[in-house]
Amino acid sequence: MDKENEYKEMFLAEALENYEELNKLFTALEKNGNDKKAIDAIFRITHTLKGNAMGMGFDAIAGLSHVLEDVFSEAKNGSLILDPGLFDILFKANDKLGELINAITTNEDVKYKGIKTKLEVFLRNVKKPIGTEGNKIETKENVANIEKSLTSSDMGSTFVVSNEREKVESEEDDNQPKVIFSDLVQIPVRKLDGLMNLVGELIIERDSLIARGLESGGSTSEYARLQRITSDLQYGVMDVRLVQVGFLFNKFHRVLRDAASLEEKKANLILEGTEIEIDRNILKIMSDSLIHLIRNSIGHGIEKPEARRLAGKNEVGSVYLKARNEKDSVIIEITDDGYGIDPNAIKKKAIEKKIITKEFADSLTRDEILQIIFEPGFSNAEKITEVSGRGVGMDVVKRATESIGGKISLKTELGKGSTITLSLPSSMAVKGALLFELNQQEYAIPLTYTEAVVSLKKNDLHKVSSGIIANYLGKTISVIFLKDLFAMNSFDELYQENALHKSYANCKAENKLEVMVVSYNNKYFGLVVDKLLQQKEIVEKTLSRPIDTLDLFSGATILGNGSVCLVLDIAAIANVCFKEKFIKKV
Amino acid sequence: MENKDTATLEEVKKEAAAYTKKNDVGERMQLIIFKLGKEEYAMNIDQIKEVVITPRIAKVPQTAMYIKGVANIRGNIIAIMDLEERFNLIEKTDQPNSETIANYTLVVESEEFKVGILVKEVPNTLSVNTTDIDSSSEIIRYTALDERCIKGIVKSGERMIIMIDMFELLAIDEHVKKVNTI
Repeated sequence: MDKENEYKEMFLAEALENYEELNKLFTALEKNGNDKKAIDAIFRITHTLKGNAMGMGFDAIAGLSHVLEDVFSEAKNGSLILDPGLFDILFKANDKLGELINAITTNEDVKYKGIKTKLEVFLRNVKKPIGTEGNKIETKENVANIEKSLTSSDMGSTFVVSNEREKVESEEDDNQPKVIFSDLVQIPVRKLDGLMNLVGELIIERDSLIARGLESGGSTSEYARLQRITSDLQYGVMDVRLVQVGFLFNKFHRVLRDAASLEEKKANLILEGTEIEIDRNILKIMSDSLIHLIRNSIGHGIEKPEARRLAGKNEVGSVYLKARNEKDSVIIEITDDGYGIDPNAIKKKAIEKKIITKEFADSLTRDEILQIIFEPGFSNAEKITEVSGRGVGMDVVKRATESIGGKISLKTELGKGSTITLSLPSSMAVKGALLFELNQQEYAIPLTYTEAVVSLKKNDLHKVSSGIIANYLGKTISVIFLKDLFAMNSFDELYQENALHKSYANCKAENKLEVMVVSYNNKYFGLVVDKLLQQKEIVEKTLSRPIDTLDLFSGATILGNGSVCLVLDIAAIANVCFKEKFIKKV
Repeated sequence: MENKDTATLEEVKKEAAAYTKKNDVGERMQLIIFKLGKEEYAMNIDQIKEVVITPRIAKVPQTAMYIKGVANIRGNIIAIMDLEERFNLIEKTDQPNSETIANYTLVVESEEFKVGILVKEVPNTLSVNTTDIDSSSEIIRYTALDERCIKGIVKSGERMIIMIDMFELLAIDEHVKKVNTI
């Protein structure tokens, strides 16, 4: 289905819901005319409906709901008293609304102008101050006025109106309001999650069935159909969970506006790629982070109008929020054309906040300094403002991104602006992973972290202080024997002497060492494993108590042969092993 | 007054009958009995999901010794633990490969998660009266572990069965781990 139809379908579903809701509220209001809540609700619903319809270009629906909105805006202010006479018109108007919504699919021609004019005239009369009676207006008189104006006031339009009114009336006589069914079903996400889990288990079972079949001499072709159907099912369920990023992005206009007005800055939000689809749960997890990033780009990025003018920039800053697909992931970029990030300011702040020592700071490269903004406890804002200081820091954004297997990176140029790039998986259900063997057991590393696989010899590796280094594509990288990490009772043993040299000491010079080069935060390091196995799609499950607090593993998956394969948490390993090297504790 | 007296008497009789009845069938409890070391242990049957032949266990590094790893039991990834090791019940005279003869896994289930416990023999069930469970404080309870996790001693003929609560045990261990990391 193309995008436009999909939008249309969603509009229809929502509009129908609005229509049903209005019917309910009108009925409630008719029984109790003083129901303030109902009046507010009707005002809100008609307002939304008007907005949605305008966005979709359904002028008729927009027009009619606009008039209804006006009526209830008056009712809200108390300048209009709702009485039984009016409800007939309101119900008819709502019926028309329902017919109009229905007509989007049936392409039926619905006459609505009569009822719309009726309401408009009614409103016009309300707004005219009538004598000393003040705002209290008898509806009966109003209705009479409407009838009068329909026949007598300005001739040009009246002709059309009354003409239509006749049609409307004749239609309504034999046309009872229809019960309208939407073509869309709303499903609680919980049920979708359940389905997704079942599909995941089905895939595991399928793989294990095929593995067994092959062992007993079968051929893969026997399972081709099973393979295809289960794959289709899997992608079908995944597809159902996808939503367009636009649904979230569109809410950010308001976020940006509020942030900008608080900071007395001017900025526009420009959206791109709103039609890109992503798993609903991923979007939900990232929504707070994205709000934070938008606020940040106003709080820290965009300068005040005067400063911008002085810098020769347009007074109104621009914040771009772009989404695009790249292979299996969705890339979301937040770009501002503001001041950019000054590494020296970061450095100063980090030393002040005792995140790093001065000596150590001087040894860091520009990129490494910029990475400090992702450290917990670092907030560059001079004072905590309402815009950027809400307790969510960049470290939280980073953690949220990594928790779903995504990556975050930062590019900035002083005076020109910054770009934060989030690389997110489009679906959480299945991810690619590289399997390897260590101590006769299988483990997996998600493909998001793997860079390359190299084969080295012992004399390619060099002991340097407590670690081991090697040369990879001209770069010096740290190498860790995973065996050493696994042999520890806890990461505390890292501080013991030679903790990372044990396996190195044991390995023979002529043996080939399989090294997986992984990257995290643009930092590469190597992990020595026993044997590399294949690349595979896995369904990762989180570990439950009592082993849910492990740093080494993010979860586990079940392989085709039924055995459990643990999934390495590269982010956590990198944080633990290189934290001390990167940022020294004070 | 006389009337009232008879009524009271009848009430007392009824109450007594109800009491004996309750003692006969009412407060019976189903237990699962399994051996750890040389002792018999018991758990409430409501906590037990199933008993399976121990599947292949994947070792999990950097966990406590008694956590043997994780295994796939009916599509669920479950932590497998050895309570003999946890309770220091392995005697030096035991075969060093005592692990290999832990043929069965008892799957214990709470509302949020499941764990597996290694046992050597197929566990039995036993129906006891709650009055046969001695939960008085006369048993030596030095540690918080004993206090919270040992629910009492079940007397059944000559047998003395130690009744434990698995989830209290896990909660204590996790708490200790947390305190240590802080």
